[in-house]
Amino acid sequence: MTRLDAWHLPGVDAAGVREWTERELVDGLTLRTPVPEPAALARVIDHIRTARERSLAHRPVQDIVAVIDEAAARLQRPDDPRRALAERALPALTGYSPPMIRLILDRMLADWRKDALETLLEAEFGDPLVLDRFRPGPAGGRIRAFGPELAFHIFAGNVPGVAVTSLVRSLLVKAATLGKTASGEPLLPALFARTLAEVDPELGACLAVTYWPGGSAAPEEVAFRAADTVVVYGGAAAADDVRRRVPADTRLVVHGPRLSFGVIGREALREAEVERTATAAAYAVATFDQQGCVSPHAMYVEEGGEVGPRAFAERLADALARVQEELPRGRISPEEAATIHQLRGAAEFRRIAGADIALHEGPGTLYTVIYDADPAFAPSCLNRVVWVKPLPELGDVVNAVRPFAALLQTAGVAGAGDRLLDLAERLGRIGVSRVTDLERMPWPPPTWHHDGRGPLRELVRWTDLDE
Amino acid sequence: MLDQEGMALRAELFRLFEGPIDEPLDDDVFDSLARRIFQYQFTHNAPYAAYCRRRGRFPEDVAHWTEIPAVPTAAFKEVPLVCGDPGDAEAVFRTSGTTAGPERRGEHHILDLSVYHASLTPNFAAYLCPDGTGLPMLSLMPPVAQMVDSSLAHMISVVVDRLGGEGSGYYAAVGSGIDLEGLHGALERFTAEGTPVCLLGTTLAFVHWLDALRERGIRYALPPGSRLMDTGGSKGRRRIVQEDELRREYAERLGIPADHCVNEYGMTEMCSQFYDSVLRDRVRGRAGGVRRKVPPPWVRTRVVDPDTLAPVRPGEVGILQHFDLANLGSVMAIQTEDIGREVEGGFQVLGRAAGAPPRGCSIAMDLLLEAVEGLGR
Repeated sequence: MTRLDAWHLPGVDAAGVREWTERELVDGLTLRTPVPEPAALARVIDHIRTARERSLAHRPVQDIVAVIDEAAARLQRPDDPRRALAERALPALTGYSPPMIRLILDRMLADWRKDALETLLEAEFGDPLVLDRFRPGPAGGRIRAFGPELAFHIFAGNVPGVAVTSLVRSLLVKAATLGKTASGEPLLPALFARTLAEVDPELGACLAVTYWPGGSAAPEEVAFRAADTVVVYGGAAAADDVRRRVPADTRLVVHGPRLSFGVIGREALREAEVERTATAAAYAVATFDQQGCVSPHAMYVEEGGEVGPRAFAERLADALARVQEELPRGRISPEEAATIHQLRGAAEFRRIAGADIALHEGPGTLYTVIYDADPAFAPSCLNRVVWVKPLPELGDVVNAVRPFAALLQTAGVAGAGDRLLDLAERLGRIGVSRVTDLERMPWPPPTWHHDGRGPLRELVRWTDLDE
Repeated sequence: MLDQEGMALRAELFRLFEGPIDEPLDDDVFDSLARRIFQYQFTHNAPYAAYCRRRGRFPEDVAHWTEIPAVPTAAFKEVPLVCGDPGDAEAVFRTSGTTAGPERRGEHHILDLSVYHASLTPNFAAYLCPDGTGLPMLSLMPPVAQMVDSSLAHMISVVVDRLGGEGSGYYAAVGSGIDLEGLHGALERFTAEGTPVCLLGTTLAFVHWLDALRERGIRYALPPGSRLMDTGGSKGRRRIVQEDELRREYAERLGIPADHCVNEYGMTEMCSQFYDSVLRDRVRGRAGGVRRKVPPPWVRTRVVDPDTLAPVRPGEVGILQHFDLANLGSVMAIQTEDIGREVEGGFQVLGRAAGAPPRGCSIAMDLLLEAVEGLGR
């Protein structure tokens, strides 16, 4: 029996914890977190704020980058004990297959290395030293950026790494950082925090990570009162709930659920290209088992190419079968499987009723591709269920997805040729925050304007000094 | 309209509905009737026949009722699944759902209401009135005239008419919700008289009613023998009430003990219903078993593997499939999106796929449709 401590609370000693929440995973792994008492949480908050005031607030940003870089480097090593734990526990926790977990860890960890962080800082601030001191501003005078004194993050979902990225951003702007993990993935943020504290105890003392059931009033009130910035991941209901409960002058950053799709033009449908296109589309669907906000629900395929939309659906199904070998679909709940059967059944009966539909099913529920000539956007029930819809012209995709404008995020585009810029312009207008190719679709760069806003800039406030 | 074979099958069903409710049919008897009904539906229900052909299942090859292809409930949203002309249906029941959304509503065409009525009455009576009928039935559902699409409203109207005693009535209306005052007056009156009552409604309606009673500080001590039937779970995402917590509230607020609280499990796509056996068990001196749903003799329920749809071992969790002979004029074999498991003497429903939250940061299908509706407003 291995007991995993899925928490990192500066100033709290395991021996002093009165009550634990324990959760059994597979093969003898147990996860535990302290049941948060408001008074104890208040002490933790004091602790990390004081530590920030003493050290983090005055440390050069380059220093912080170096510490995060070293923590990420350790977690990249196959022989690192925490890395090994993550690889063992995360499949049981999240349902993702072990190869998927390894892929996600590798890709995410690369984003927390020095080069990536420096690129992010430069992209966001031009001159990252504005985080350290007054620097010459673009219009004369000097400018200085200040991060939050205490940022409280509430995480959701089970995609490993999303939470850590949020913690990293918070630390880069020198905020004392408290993260409440999601029940779907409470582990990696804690492992990261502990690694960071091992690399640099001073920085580790400014970061706290733990789990409690979302919506627990008592600990959350304490955190809401103390924080000057609250970052929330989750659905509209969770965001509304938080909005009602935080003081009006607290800065609130919300990352709600998002919706992505693919757009494939004729140039990518040539016989010589189509295999590559289908494979890239299949990886985009398969990665995170489609649970990511970057995961496509549908592939819009232009008509008139060497391979038409209907035939492309078949190629995509073949590619998903191949991808299954390398990145097996994870465990899904009976409810999720039931929904897949319902969606397949509905499609089949629509075809029987005369609609132009073709259904391609993998064994069991492993993957499903539904070609549907109706161009109206249809949501997927996820877990590798994807629609293929025809487009007379590439640009017609804009009208198809427009009803969902407020939720749109990534468009993975292939074969647009010299129409790409125009397409991006039109997709951007309605709210798409990222236009990329199918290969890069699942992996936004750290510099991406997350849901349309600067990931670091949205955390800071500015002081201008006129001279 | 049923043809000659349909009428012959109907006559057999009527005999079944009048038979003893606790005695499962011999598998041979169920099987032979089920396969005749499959043959009938294959012949008269063209979309269903097409579905079966695509699976290579023809009546002449189906050796046992378990081989009859089950139709996912979502199919009822796509095409009329009826043995004959949809225009001949005596009633069309529709699944709940908003009219504004892009989501279509499922439609169940009922060719012959007499089959539906004949099947629902003895089943309801057995599980809600095992000690005799004639209690006043008070409905938290609006009268069927206000909800012609609703199979539940229809069902309640039938049991109120046929099994309800004097003073039965409807205490809700479309638009204005539960008639708190009227219901209060009726309950006070029956309590003063010492007449036990039978309350009927959706779980959601009961939850709202209990909330209102709590706000007003009202508590009833309904006469012993009072009972209730709730149905549908509390699907509202804002306040999800656990079943046992709800039963505590029923006992506390209404004075109805848990073994008089009967949960009904039914769906628009099925003519038959399932009830908790608690009250029947209690009255028959068999209390103490696990709370479970019991199929009437003319329904068989199977639990199948969520991935492969092969039957699971007894007790394992899976998707529920129902083979409901009372669905004579539509499709007998139904695959639900409900999750459950077999238990001694019946089965338990553990969850419904609708409303299952997404695990990652993408968006769940139903939430997405809801969100778009919200945006359109």
